[in-house]
Amino acid sequence: MAKLTAATAQMATVMIQDARARDTVGIFTQMMDAAATAPDRESAEAALKFLGEMSVDLRGAAILGPDGDVLAATSETPERWREDAAALFAAADGAEGEPAEQVHIATEQGEVFAIRNAGLAAVAVTDRFALASLLLFDMRSMLRELAGPVEGAE
Amino acid sequence: MPAKPHRVLLDRVSGYADEAAAFMRRRRISRRPFARLYYPHGRSADHAEDSRSGAELFVAAGRLIEVAGRKKS
Repeated sequence: MAKLTAATAQMATVMIQDARARDTVGIFTQMMDAAATAPDRESAEAALKFLGEMSVDLRGAAILGPDGDVLAATSETPERWREDAAALFAAADGAEGEPAEQVHIATEQGEVFAIRNAGLAAVAVTDRFALASLLLFDMRSMLRELAGPVEGAE
Repeated sequence: MPAKPHRVLLDRVSGYADEAAAFMRRRRISRRPFARLYYPHGRSADHAEDSRSGAELFVAAGRLIEVAGRKKS
């Protein structure tokens, strides 16, 4: 009986966590539609510089606007970033016929992270074994801040 | 004669550090390339390198790694 009670309690916890994750993502999806405005290039460059300071493993990154244009990039080849990021998102969206929110690809040469949030997109390349959750969190925060203040937030 | 308390603590901390270092070494050796996509509502999907979708993702990732270049030290 005690085992049954413990199992039931565990199930409830898992269900709550699942519901929380589901609802949180739902909120972000709504925010994405609400705040799809392109920030200016200076802000994007400053945000990218800050990301570089926070992530020691970062080799390069780019921020793309709602239309796919590069707002800021760490190297002097914005056209390459635009094309290659577009190819990555196209491959990700085509993989299961559904738009992917985040992409993480680990290769022998390095790791690639891509995220779409608030109508913007960011792509980052790091050394191997970078802390994925931390970097994706930083990238998401960066895009959300660039997109502008969220209604109800200070 | 029992060890001094700070010795016990130091031994324990260095033991944890050794365990962590060993875990990281194993992870570096055993971790294989992967392509993982995350979707809304928390779903994620792995795509093998030899699948069509996985191959496309790895090619696109390779191009991005190329454009990013090496880290400036």
